[in-house]
Amino acid sequence: MAPKRKASANLTGTAKSGRASASSTPGPSTPRDIDSDDEPNSPEEPAENEQDIQKAVDRFTLAAYQDKVKRGPIDSASRYFGDNGKRDFSYLPLKPDYKSRPIWIDPLRGRIILENFNPLAEQAKDFLITIAEPQSRPTFLHEYSLTPHSLYAAVSVGLLPQDIVNTLDRFSKTPLPQSIVGFIRSCASSYGKVKLVIKDTKYFVESNDPEVLQKLLKDPIIGPCRVQGTETVTNAPSMGGLVIPGTSNAAGVKQAQLQQGEHQHPETTEKTQPENPFDALREDDDDDNQEAVHAFEIPDTSVETVQKRCLEIQFPMLEEYDFRNDDRNANLEIDLRPATQIRSYQEKSLSKMFGNGRAKSGIIVLPCGAGKTLVGITAACTIKKGCIVLCTSTMSAHQWRQEFLKWSNIRPEDIAVFTADSKSKFPGNTGIIVTTYPMVTQSGKRAYDSQRMMDFLTGREWGLMLLDEVHVVPAQIFRKVSHSIKSHAKLGLTATLLREDDKIQDLNFLIGPKLFEANWMELSEQGHIAKVQCAEVWCPMTTEFYDEYLRTQDRGLKSNLYVMNPRKIQACQFLIDYHERRGDKIIVFSDNVYALQAVALALNKSYICGATGNTERMQILDNFMHNPAIRTVFLSKIGDTSLDLPEATCLIQISSHYGSRRQEAQRLGRILRAKRRSDEGFNAFFYSLVSKDTLEMYYSTKRQAFLVDQGYSFKVITQLAGMEQMEGLAYNTPRERRELLQKLLVDAEKKQAELTEDTDDLFYTTSKKRRVRRTAGTLGELSGGQDMAYIEQKKSMNKTLKKKPQQNVFFKKMAREKQRLKDQR
Amino acid sequence: MVRAIKGTLVECDPSIKSIIINIDKEKNDYIIEDLDDSHLLIKDVMVAQLKAKLEERLKETVPFVEDDSGSDKQ
Repeated sequence: MAPKRKASANLTGTAKSGRASASSTPGPSTPRDIDSDDEPNSPEEPAENEQDIQKAVDRFTLAAYQDKVKRGPIDSASRYFGDNGKRDFSYLPLKPDYKSRPIWIDPLRGRIILENFNPLAEQAKDFLITIAEPQSRPTFLHEYSLTPHSLYAAVSVGLLPQDIVNTLDRFSKTPLPQSIVGFIRSCASSYGKVKLVIKDTKYFVESNDPEVLQKLLKDPIIGPCRVQGTETVTNAPSMGGLVIPGTSNAAGVKQAQLQQGEHQHPETTEKTQPENPFDALREDDDDDNQEAVHAFEIPDTSVETVQKRCLEIQFPMLEEYDFRNDDRNANLEIDLRPATQIRSYQEKSLSKMFGNGRAKSGIIVLPCGAGKTLVGITAACTIKKGCIVLCTSTMSAHQWRQEFLKWSNIRPEDIAVFTADSKSKFPGNTGIIVTTYPMVTQSGKRAYDSQRMMDFLTGREWGLMLLDEVHVVPAQIFRKVSHSIKSHAKLGLTATLLREDDKIQDLNFLIGPKLFEANWMELSEQGHIAKVQCAEVWCPMTTEFYDEYLRTQDRGLKSNLYVMNPRKIQACQFLIDYHERRGDKIIVFSDNVYALQAVALALNKSYICGATGNTERMQILDNFMHNPAIRTVFLSKIGDTSLDLPEATCLIQISSHYGSRRQEAQRLGRILRAKRRSDEGFNAFFYSLVSKDTLEMYYSTKRQAFLVDQGYSFKVITQLAGMEQMEGLAYNTPRERRELLQKLLVDAEKKQAELTEDTDDLFYTTSKKRRVRRTAGTLGELSGGQDMAYIEQKKSMNKTLKKKPQQNVFFKKMAREKQRLKDQR
Repeated sequence: MVRAIKGTLVECDPSIKSIIINIDKEKNDYIIEDLDDSHLLIKDVMVAQLKAKLEERLKETVPFVEDDSGSDKQ
């Protein structure tokens, strides 16, 4: 089995619940680290409190619902089932007709394994996608995981816990484990108790149940986050003006309840007393039984902390926007054009977002080229309120605006772009602003008009915040802004919801849970995205290169050696030649800029890297798109994301960013739009060239994990037939190869070969500074005399010079003058 | 007088050959003759020892890829 991705990095939901249990299980060696949040004001918590919280946390993880039933006997084979035999579930009884049922359930971790070849699989899949998160979906066996988030999503679309349990039981080969039943019931019951709402651009935590709020306020982390002091007092009357008739009634109810609460907790009287008047009071718009709603305000900065904490203590905060009943924010006149048809999977994803008539915040994961933009636009058209769109670059900001104009009937003046060179606003009282992440996250002093624009953005309520390429978001800088720009609903769009670090989990609090994840294989089967043949080409290292690879300890040089492996360059040349003749347009990716330049020059193709000027870039790309003579372009990692080249049908990757799964998937995304060819059943080709017996093999396996989980299979090619016979093959003679090696070594010495760009992430580019480096060396190096052969030509020249000392007339005159002066003396 | 050394012909990838040569460099007691890019003549008695060393060296240069999915770890 191919190794799959590392769980910690990208299984948003599971990983998180997993972490909750792993890091918070009280153990002597692992002190709980609650205060590690970026909130400095959370106080040290008393020890006795810790246990209470611990209980709450434990109740929330699946581990708390484990069967008390005795496990089966642990036999000699058990240890093969992972985790020292703990995962030997052979003791679970099978149902008599288990063969016709499609799923297995892991009672320990809530993993569901689906047999995709089972006749019932289709039905089961439909159901599982609603209640669980897909983890891996190759051809025959699918893996899903039950997480609190996925269960909340299921409940919010109207599924009852009993239904979930019954249906799971119907599909399962074994009787449903008690642990799973308990887990489902508890998650479902705690859902929707606490809400996070925005009122007058301030955040409030709201609940129908005063006891729940009391509990939250007493929590050592949430309590201090409450806004203290006078401002809430002034708030109360202004709130009173806002409530719908029936408030006095509701207020009375609330007073009574609070007094009751005080009686019950006399010891906390002095604590609750000051809070009572501050609890903002409001009538829920659609509450029929006129129940009172209690709320307290929290500052923008601590929203994430509170959200995180609420989830831990089993009161997940609901962030829903009842946009149809929102009268205070002006409606925006926007609708999809009548001719616009959205595809079934786009509809499905949106139905998850608007499941109960309100807008839920969350993330929709669709592969590149599957119409993420249209999903965003449709969401904006559904909400019909002010909308702010954040994207990664100025270019894509303008693209978003174009798309909005193309698909919807919004008036052109109502949609404005906020970038470094255009800072317009919409004229009416509502509209759409398209901007980039750097524009809104920039800290420090701003230009006057940018600052005014920022004040405008932060000073109002937005109905919807659309976050394009949301996987780049989790950065410290962005956190501040994500809550300072107040939007009722947030929708994140991405193709690859994964990072190699743990930060992807933060998206759960910054934006919301994963609402929908499309099945790549299904989409390509239906023809929405290209069918891609993936291949990994193994290129043997040549002897000279491998000798050097083994000898050197320098990691940079090692990587240069396996990237510049002549056999790899040959394979690249061969593949380019082969696909050019088929009529494909080819992109060659190389992370290593040194290799990019060297290979592009060796094969006589044009390349674009970070240093390439804008006009040259446009020229090269234009030629690539429209000029039939230019079929190949070399790109550094600047082309990884959001570069739209629908012409490209073949992709060759010669060097890459270590084991980054995201990069692999994003690069694949460059050719998913290719739909024009369909011979041989595939319309696009993805080659990854790997040097055999080097570290690259290891990285390559890691990189493929995400795509393998999506159901792609990588064909391994060990030998390209006919490569040896190709004419004009580069580096075909040992001499040329040695020269290349020498050049590489010399350049490495000069440290030129380390010209890798570090522009993988949007936010890591800011601290790019040139620093002075001190190295030991000889003077000859400075003059360029190092490694230079010296040949003396025209050896007799010196003699001729000696014979005829040619002197300038001027100097002759000078000499004469000197002589004359001497003589005079 | 002609001295005969019993040898084993080893056929391998160029990269493996590189490793073998690298191993041999320490004492020069494995290789009798370096034939070409993919063939070596090795002293017969040293073959087993070389195999072990090669295995060790391969483990160092190419990291072991785990078969188990990372998600199973929790």
